[in-house]
Amino acid sequence: MTARRRFLALASTVVLGTALAACGSSSDSGGKKATLDVLVSANTIYPDQQRQWFADVSTKFEKQTGSKVTFETFASANDELTKIQTSALSGQGPDIYSLGTTFTPTAYATGAFEVLTPDDWTKIGGKDRFLPATLGISGPDDSHQVGIPFASRPFVMAYNKDLLAAAGIDKPADSWDGLLDQAKKLTKGDVHGLAIAYGDGFDPWKFIWAMSIQAGNPLIVDGKAQLDQPTVKTAYETYLGWLATDKVVDPAATGWKNAQAIAAFGAGKAAFLPMVSATSKVTLDKSAVAGKYAYAIMPTIPPGATATAANGVPATSILSGDNLVVAKYSKNKDLAFQLINMLTSADSQDLYYKTFGELPTNATEAAKLQSDPALAAIVDSAGKSHNTPFNGAWSQVQLALVNVVVQSVPNLSKGTVDDAALRQLLAKAQSDAQAALDKSQ
Amino acid sequence: MTIRQTSPAAIGAPGAEDAGRPVPHGGAGQPVHGRRDRRPRRGRPFWMLAPGGVLTLLVVVIPFLVAVYISFLDLDQYTFRRWVHAPFTGIDNYVDAWRHSDLLHAVWVSGSAAVIATVVALPVGMAAALTTHNRFPGRAAVRSIYLIPYVLPAFVVGTVWRIILAPDGVANNLLHRLGLDTSGANGLWLNGPRSYWALIAVQIWASWPLIYLLVLAGLQSIDHSLHEAAALDGAGWWTKLRSIVVPHLRGPVALGLLITVLHIFNSFTLPFVLFGVPSPHDVEVLPVLTYVESFQNFRFGLSAAMAVVSLLLILIPLLVYLRAVRLDVGEDDR
Repeated sequence: MTARRRFLALASTVVLGTALAACGSSSDSGGKKATLDVLVSANTIYPDQQRQWFADVSTKFEKQTGSKVTFETFASANDELTKIQTSALSGQGPDIYSLGTTFTPTAYATGAFEVLTPDDWTKIGGKDRFLPATLGISGPDDSHQVGIPFASRPFVMAYNKDLLAAAGIDKPADSWDGLLDQAKKLTKGDVHGLAIAYGDGFDPWKFIWAMSIQAGNPLIVDGKAQLDQPTVKTAYETYLGWLATDKVVDPAATGWKNAQAIAAFGAGKAAFLPMVSATSKVTLDKSAVAGKYAYAIMPTIPPGATATAANGVPATSILSGDNLVVAKYSKNKDLAFQLINMLTSADSQDLYYKTFGELPTNATEAAKLQSDPALAAIVDSAGKSHNTPFNGAWSQVQLALVNVVVQSVPNLSKGTVDDAALRQLLAKAQSDAQAALDKSQ
Repeated sequence: MTIRQTSPAAIGAPGAEDAGRPVPHGGAGQPVHGRRDRRPRRGRPFWMLAPGGVLTLLVVVIPFLVAVYISFLDLDQYTFRRWVHAPFTGIDNYVDAWRHSDLLHAVWVSGSAAVIATVVALPVGMAAALTTHNRFPGRAAVRSIYLIPYVLPAFVVGTVWRIILAPDGVANNLLHRLGLDTSGANGLWLNGPRSYWALIAVQIWASWPLIYLLVLAGLQSIDHSLHEAAALDGAGWWTKLRSIVVPHLRGPVALGLLITVLHIFNSFTLPFVLFGVPSPHDVEVLPVLTYVESFQNFRFGLSAAMAVVSLLLILIPLLVYLRAVRLDVGEDDR
């Protein structure tokens, strides 16, 4: 028995010792040379290049400051939100987060991120370093900014040059009505005028937002939702009508995600592919239309009009891309600003653009790209992008807008845009959006 | 030769026939049946349950209590950072879920789909088990093939069926070749009224192997001597099926039905991948609704209230089952 007891004592000492050692090693990370933790979106198009970029950034930063950078990735905005929740609650986690532009208002509403002081901006290299348009969704106003523009991904429209030339069309129209006329001309057999992803979780609201703001309705005015306005209804009728009544979209598009719309265009089955970013280039350059397509900005004249409304905005795209934010709980804020300074410098942005095809937010670097004809439309759209409303409830408004399209799909197959059903769905979207906005006050 | 009569329901109860179970104060090793032993049970090493108890407390009880507490808070993207200080709103979230959300509709969709899919999956699973019960060349291969839907992750099942059921997918091609109309709404399986049946069909496809597994295990556990004895008594296949096989399968089948219903009722990944969010109204199931309220609408309090309601609903069939197989009472109380 004594031997057994001794063995037990020894065993428990070993177990306890190991556990304590484990605790000790984890707390060592807060030593002299801090390590910065950065959370960014996983790049599914260039995974290998992204890993290499992580390593290069860390090496370069270590040379400059003696501190390393570790990168974590997330797959979706929901993953990221969960990470923000757990980190903000526990007071530890990534020092820097990369946020999609339209998610920035929600993240701002959590109050978990550092509002940048003039001093902070100086540490990053000054506001003047950035293209003015890219700062449009950094915060609710100039003195409450959390987001530092890092990458720009404006939306444009791809078109099939051969199909347009064959139909005698010299360039894509600048109005949505004009685009529809062209699409009708181009719809023949199994080739359709437009490739639209009605089944996508995000694409639909971007169309509705664009057509509405061009008609003078930014969807939220002074905390009031404007989804029940005629401009929004017209936008839905136009967008849904392309498939239901105008028949310029493949009927199968009711189930398409964005990638399937790109695939249909890539197979030469559609003349126009609106609402894509420069990242579609990777797929299209390997497709049947490689060398036969070009990008153009999307129409800026709203449906049923011949010019942008007097109070409208000729927006070609939502302000799209990534912002960097610094967590309030971070113990390495100065170091974080140093890293952001490095990442938004002209040479870093040049490398990032060359590696991933995402446009720079650095003004000097962006000016250089303007002379490249292949990028003309995309750079043009970057300058004509407009921010979506900066409101903590924007994600909910977005969801309400997409929901109208999802619930309309069964009716589209019947060949009509059911007016009564659309009114009902818009009324529900309005009340859902308003309820969310009321909570944000 | 004696045929030991075991309660058929007890077959589904793990450990029901545990020969090594302690026999308390029964004397002479005779199990005590039919009367309650109310004497204090001193000296039992209950402390050995402590690790399991602590784990249950940490993993189940505390998170559950936190969820219940959250369901009484107005917790959203504006308050979650200091969630303990979020406004306490009493039962407002439950009222909101009841009156202003699609909760009832979602409960109906989830519940009815789960019951229909399970009822259809039952004969499919049983038939599959009967076909592979007896030895034949290649039985191992057939058994492995039967398990494919069961071992595939729900994400893969959802993605594959999404492609199959797309308007220009394989399913519509096949139906078209069979001379059926697949144009317009007739070929729309991932939205609209038909999506409900698509959900059920895919759930059946993914669920029947579990019933198959349990039934097969039940069939295999029937003592061969029972069949022999029945054969000696001159029983035909029908009598054997009715008097030996069916009573013995009642336990595994009941367990299979319960697990399948609960699994489908709780299924999130499959409908999420198959139909996406926002869900089409006809397939707005409870888990996806709860998810959307949490992670797209950021109404964590409302979502927690929905989760609590969901748990209470799940408890109903679970308690019925526990009563049926008497797993909720001690071995000695049976």
